[in-house]
Amino acid sequence: MKLLKLMMALMLCLGLDVLAASAKTPANTLVVADAIDDVISLDPGEVSEVGGVLTSNQIYQPLVSFDVNDPTKIVGVLAESWSISADGKIFTFKMNPKAKFASGNPVTARDAEYSLRRVVLMKSRSAFIITQFGFTPENVKDRIKAADDQTLVIEIGDRYAPSFLFYCLSSYVGGIVDSKLVSEHEVKGDFGNAWLKSEHSAGSGPFELVKWEPKKSILLKRNENFWGTRPGVERIFIQHVAESATQRLLLEKGDIDVANKLGSDDFDAIKDNAGVKVITSQSGTIYYMGLNVRNPYLAKPKVVEALKYLVDYQGIAATISRGAMKVHQTLVPDGFLGALDYTPYKLDVEKAKALLKEAGVTSGFSLDTVVWNSPPYTDWAQAIQATMAEAGIKLNLQVVDGQQWLDRYRSHKLDIWLGLWGPDYPDPHSNAKAFAVNKQDAPDGSESLADRFGWNAGELSKQAMAAVREQDTLKRKAMYQDLQKTHTDTSPFIYMFQEVRRVGVNSKVKGVVLGLTFSDDRYWSASKD
Amino acid sequence: MLLTTLPRRLASSLTSVALTLLGLVVLTFVIGRVVPIDPVLAIVGDKASKEVYDRVFVELGRDQPVYVQFFTYLWKLLHGDFGQSFITSRPVLIDLLDFFPATLELATFGLLIGVVTGIPAGVIAAYYHGKWPDHLIRVFALIGYSVPVFWLGLVGLFVLYFKLDWVSGPGQLDIFFQGVVPRHTGSILIDSAIAGDWDVFSNAMSHMILPASLLGYYSLAYIGRMTRSFMLDQLNREYVLTARLKGATEFEVVARHALRNAAIPLVTIVALSYGSLLEGSVLVETIFSWPGIGNYLASSLFRADMNAVLGGTFVVGAMFVFLNMLSDVLYNLLDPRMDGGRS
Repeated sequence: MKLLKLMMALMLCLGLDVLAASAKTPANTLVVADAIDDVISLDPGEVSEVGGVLTSNQIYQPLVSFDVNDPTKIVGVLAESWSISADGKIFTFKMNPKAKFASGNPVTARDAEYSLRRVVLMKSRSAFIITQFGFTPENVKDRIKAADDQTLVIEIGDRYAPSFLFYCLSSYVGGIVDSKLVSEHEVKGDFGNAWLKSEHSAGSGPFELVKWEPKKSILLKRNENFWGTRPGVERIFIQHVAESATQRLLLEKGDIDVANKLGSDDFDAIKDNAGVKVITSQSGTIYYMGLNVRNPYLAKPKVVEALKYLVDYQGIAATISRGAMKVHQTLVPDGFLGALDYTPYKLDVEKAKALLKEAGVTSGFSLDTVVWNSPPYTDWAQAIQATMAEAGIKLNLQVVDGQQWLDRYRSHKLDIWLGLWGPDYPDPHSNAKAFAVNKQDAPDGSESLADRFGWNAGELSKQAMAAVREQDTLKRKAMYQDLQKTHTDTSPFIYMFQEVRRVGVNSKVKGVVLGLTFSDDRYWSASKD
Repeated sequence: MLLTTLPRRLASSLTSVALTLLGLVVLTFVIGRVVPIDPVLAIVGDKASKEVYDRVFVELGRDQPVYVQFFTYLWKLLHGDFGQSFITSRPVLIDLLDFFPATLELATFGLLIGVVTGIPAGVIAAYYHGKWPDHLIRVFALIGYSVPVFWLGLVGLFVLYFKLDWVSGPGQLDIFFQGVVPRHTGSILIDSAIAGDWDVFSNAMSHMILPASLLGYYSLAYIGRMTRSFMLDQLNREYVLTARLKGATEFEVVARHALRNAAIPLVTIVALSYGSLLEGSVLVETIFSWPGIGNYLASSLFRADMNAVLGGTFVVGAMFVFLNMLSDVLYNLLDPRMDGGRS
């Protein structure tokens, strides 16, 4: 009997609703929801994941950066001026004497030398952005040198467009660390990587790291020694919230300030809520299909061309992606130097059939298509499968997880790969190198997407390398425009969309600036009413 | 007699536990090797040079023959070393200790709800066999079994958190309360109780009530169903009729006689329920941004963090084996027929 009474009491207790105080975010903290369970490191020398780059960009500063509204404008950050030798190979940067680290140490050319060298010497996974200028562990001591505390001299291995180097230096691996502090924490020649990776920061940026709890949250606090304009919030709290619907509820409720991972359905749902606003920006990310020309059907240019007429670009953008994508059919993203409004393809089944006939293909055939098992890929793939079928082309959709998706296209075991390309720095070469330069023409000999899909870009490959070496910006721009048209017309890449970056923000929040490349958002001018 | 057989039983139990765990290690290791995922690529990313790829390949020991890799892994495991997670850069064991308490808290609370509601529901359904309370409870349990947890979780959040403001939203604590109480056990409820910070305690409670109720509902569905069938079995026995003829009240018949006997197999059911809750429900943890073991394992798997996957699977498996063993022992202790042949 006693037991029964106890059970009744417990049931009553559990049945009672716990009244929750309606929480709002603290006025001095910017609360950001994002998927950060993949972040491996916060060391600027090796960051790579979206969440890691987003975080390190608030902590570290590069020598130079670019104007988000006009990326063709290069602006000094830790360097206040620079000059270039006549042969275009030697860059001399003068450091900004006002700049200092969170520790109070001044930012000198020695710090810049240390930071850029360590990226090369650590052979980190992000080193390719810097090493493509011919730096190796053997030569970097001679090629990246501080002449004195205020002067940094960088000698690149080949003649390139100056803006190309500037953009690469502006990227996440270009973050400068406090060499005094970091070198004190070196262990077994790791350049302080273990110390910087997850528990400490040593930057000159507006924020510093307080705590990173892997797969849970990242907390930053205002750098009180910041030499620039004081940030509007005292703290940034990035919380791991993977699910879009969950982010939406939190945002509408006022429990987060910024929702970075909302899907189209949730944007539709919040559009009438006055307490929430949506900020958009031009993202450099491009979505495309790579066709493996090792397949005998896809080796025929007319078949490839036919496939380009079998995608309902407008329909997919309007119905599936609803504002998250715009149709884009060239290799240089909108907003980059040399971008072009060139969209020659639309769904035209009859034309595609005629092209297939010209190619001598009289019966239907199948193509193994590898698709990542996450939105929007799966929805797109089904739409594309339906339109391709109208011309007798059967897509065998192989829906796989993200790791397999990468594995499959690296090993070329597929006919079509539905994927994306996010440029690492806002220079057209980031994309031109990937889509048009074959490895025999690449200075670092790396395999590009063109190689991966078995395509010899021929003259286009050489043109792309000539464009990145062109010193005159206007000429360079024209070269990319020229190259893109031919590339769109003849390459085995079906460019489909460019992402329109959208972020849900609480209406009380002002000054969140979205970047141009992936996760280049800037929170230092954010403030709350 | 019971006391003399128990050590023997324990010894044989422990042997089978050891073999089961070894099998588990072999199986997870093999699965980790045959899945078409390249852990090296997961670490270096798609854009890194071949040189970087090769360096990490050797660092991970992937250049060794598979059997060498396996025995190296097993040797470390025997020393309590699960290796490092490449994502968190911490030993997997530390990771598991970090993420497990959140799941333990949720699972225990969920099981409590499941037991406290499921057993009475099952008893009532059996007692009113074929009548409306029975049908009502069965339908309720069936819904718990068949509605996707993902959908139910979102509906729960939408109604109770978003519209009515009765419970707190996703996450374990409001941002104001994060890091307020020092971490002793990793369980926020226990830590805040130790610190005597009842604001944090009640906030944690209001975050937990919804996901725990959701898990509780699922275990209620299972426990309730099993209780019903055990009770039906007991209520049809002769001793029940005898008790009634002797003038026992209905409450005595049900609670003192039938439920007591049905409780023996129920122990196993409850232990198994607990085991499955302790795996961490990936979907519940995802929707509620709950930093538990389910979330940890799923995200490790997607990122090919093999040490984390193997270590986590091993620990979850070991827990299952342990709970199973515990329920066996309890079963033996509770069941009068299992006392070595004496009645």
